[in-house]
Amino acid sequence: MRLTFIAAALMLATVPARADVGALLDRHILPGLAAFADATGALADDAAADCRAPALRPGLDAAFDAWLPVGDLRIEPSETGALSIAFWPDPRGFTQRTLARLVAEEDPVAGDPTAFAEYATDNYTCRLAATIAADLRRQAAALATAWTDGFAATLRSAGAPGNATYLSGDEALRAVYTQVLGGLEFTADQRLGRPMGTFDRPRPALAEARRSGRSLRHVILAAQAGHDMALALAGHDLPVTTAAMGRVRDAAGRISDPAFADIADPAARLRVEVLQQAVDGLHTAIAAELGTPMGIAPGFNAQDGD
Amino acid sequence: MIRTILTTTALAAGLAAAQAQTAAEVLDTYADIAAAKYEDSLVAARALQVAVETLTADPSAQKLAAARTAWLQARVPYQQTEVYRFGNPIVDDWEGKVNAWPLDEGLIDYVDGAYGGPTDANQLAALNVIANPTFTLSGTEIDATDITPALLEDTLHEVDGIEANVATGYHAIEFLLWGQDLNGHGAGSGDRPWTDYATGDACTGGNCDRRADYLTAATDLLVSDLEWMAAQWTEGGAARAAVTDDERAGLTTILTGMGSLSYGETAGERMRLGLMLNDPEEEHSCFADNTHNDHYYDGLGIRNVYHGEYVRIDGSHVSGPSLSDLVAATDPALDADMRIRLLETMGALGQIKTAAEAGFHYDMMLARGDDGGEALIMGGVDALIAQTRSIERIVAALDLGGIAIEGSDSLDNPSAVFQ
Repeated sequence: MRLTFIAAALMLATVPARADVGALLDRHILPGLAAFADATGALADDAAADCRAPALRPGLDAAFDAWLPVGDLRIEPSETGALSIAFWPDPRGFTQRTLARLVAEEDPVAGDPTAFAEYATDNYTCRLAATIAADLRRQAAALATAWTDGFAATLRSAGAPGNATYLSGDEALRAVYTQVLGGLEFTADQRLGRPMGTFDRPRPALAEARRSGRSLRHVILAAQAGHDMALALAGHDLPVTTAAMGRVRDAAGRISDPAFADIADPAARLRVEVLQQAVDGLHTAIAAELGTPMGIAPGFNAQDGD
Repeated sequence: MIRTILTTTALAAGLAAAQAQTAAEVLDTYADIAAAKYEDSLVAARALQVAVETLTADPSAQKLAAARTAWLQARVPYQQTEVYRFGNPIVDDWEGKVNAWPLDEGLIDYVDGAYGGPTDANQLAALNVIANPTFTLSGTEIDATDITPALLEDTLHEVDGIEANVATGYHAIEFLLWGQDLNGHGAGSGDRPWTDYATGDACTGGNCDRRADYLTAATDLLVSDLEWMAAQWTEGGAARAAVTDDERAGLTTILTGMGSLSYGETAGERMRLGLMLNDPEEEHSCFADNTHNDHYYDGLGIRNVYHGEYVRIDGSHVSGPSLSDLVAATDPALDADMRIRLLETMGALGQIKTAAEAGFHYDMMLARGDDGGEALIMGGVDALIAQTRSIERIVAALDLGGIAIEGSDSLDNPSAVFQ
């Protein structure tokens, strides 16, 4: 039924002669990375002024919000960059273990205590949070620079002599198109699939950013990123894709717990399953409305491993 | 969309008949090499089984060393099979039993105090089943008095739904033969004393009889699991049928296996991630310090599938019409490019292996701030990513070449090509 609908819509749609990787860079990726760099800068400033948790929360929320539009990119500078900016999922508990060790040992890596003398000389955790915020600012700036001053040109010059990475425009297009679909797969399989676990063994503790109650918000923002990148690539409206994004929002709107903590409740679980199907539906819509008309199938994904 | 495909098929019809035969031969070679690799893995695992029987019957330092040697030898053919994992559901569904990694080894046996106890991610991370004949799981009492293959496989493996609870396979056996590597980023592997298998008062680490039972059960299980998989690739086997029934899907399977192992799994999960975490245990064979060989033989397995030529552990060759031949017929320059990429990867992985064998172990390369180690590992990562791009080009080129298609998902759903 839905396939028929998509096929019918496609026949009416104007098919682009050539999707625009440059527009994706200019309209979404590069401004997104710049906004993330700004947001982490503000967070680091906040933390330098007052590193106590209540003072950091608004800045952390803003930084996370700025991250999601570009956070699922796993290509070139973002492959290593994303690992240390937003390390998740973390099936062996590295983050918990490392933070616990640093705090327990009061590892001097947290920096010069006198820098935060007014608020934090006697509180290691507070200083550590400020140091991590400062490091995040450094990483965000480095990532934005790596794209702006390096990899963006590699994508734009696809097919030009001397570009050994992308031998044609289609190769660059396939690379970024793979990122769009890969991000949506990550959202469905990991952001939603991990806390869902199995019916008999749901795992709410595995939800992304559950402590800050942001798990559901990440799903919405990541889906929106996929939708927006598809539109930027297409250069025109994608009505089927936009309708699918609407269904993601509708499904998300029916979920009451922002961290999926109630996932063990069968009714709550069903609502999360519906959201997962809606994210899969967005994936299908983009593949049909953007990928198929361009004749592009996704390539290998950095997250193909187990 | 349908009309486009029909047109393509019609245009390619003359060529397709000739190429269909070639594709079938390529798939036969692919299956023949799989059969040889899994049979070699089985032969080597049986040798390990004999060494384990010898060790547990009359433990000594020499017999533990002999079992370790047998394990290292068994890894050589097995790692070359990993290219069959992604893309072949029969292999992928089974693989977790024999090569699951990483593992929370405290599930199995005693660990150093620094290992820690249960974590949020895994409440059973320090269960130590060798020391505990009974334990409670989610309120249910589990009887582990007799350590049998069935206990490991059906009860312990991935217990509580946690993938890090690895109770079976090569890495569980590796832990039982070497023990934890407590050298951090320094030189040296695990150093389990042979007396962990000694009888009576000579026993160290406690419960030596249960440890021997565990080692025996895990090794027996490895052998039976490999017997099963080797059978899937013989004439009439299900895995062979799955790749040879549909030529287009079969070729896609070959390329999916090559690309996913190159990129997401080896370059990403096993190499780049470990480097980022700077964790000396974040290496594939962390107890035996054999990770340089894991990566090297994974790379070799990818290469010998493309070339359609595998050198068996007895020195004989299995070869036949290859994917390389098929690509060369369509796009000789692309075939040449792919061959060069594969060689460059073997060069980069060879440098890691060379350095490790000269004493610069993989866990030393992972140390924070070790520029030489980082360059070696990233050299492998970059080469694997570069070869993945060429694999993607081959996928595109073979599509354009009008390879005979029947019943492929990719016709109906282009995005299914790499699922």
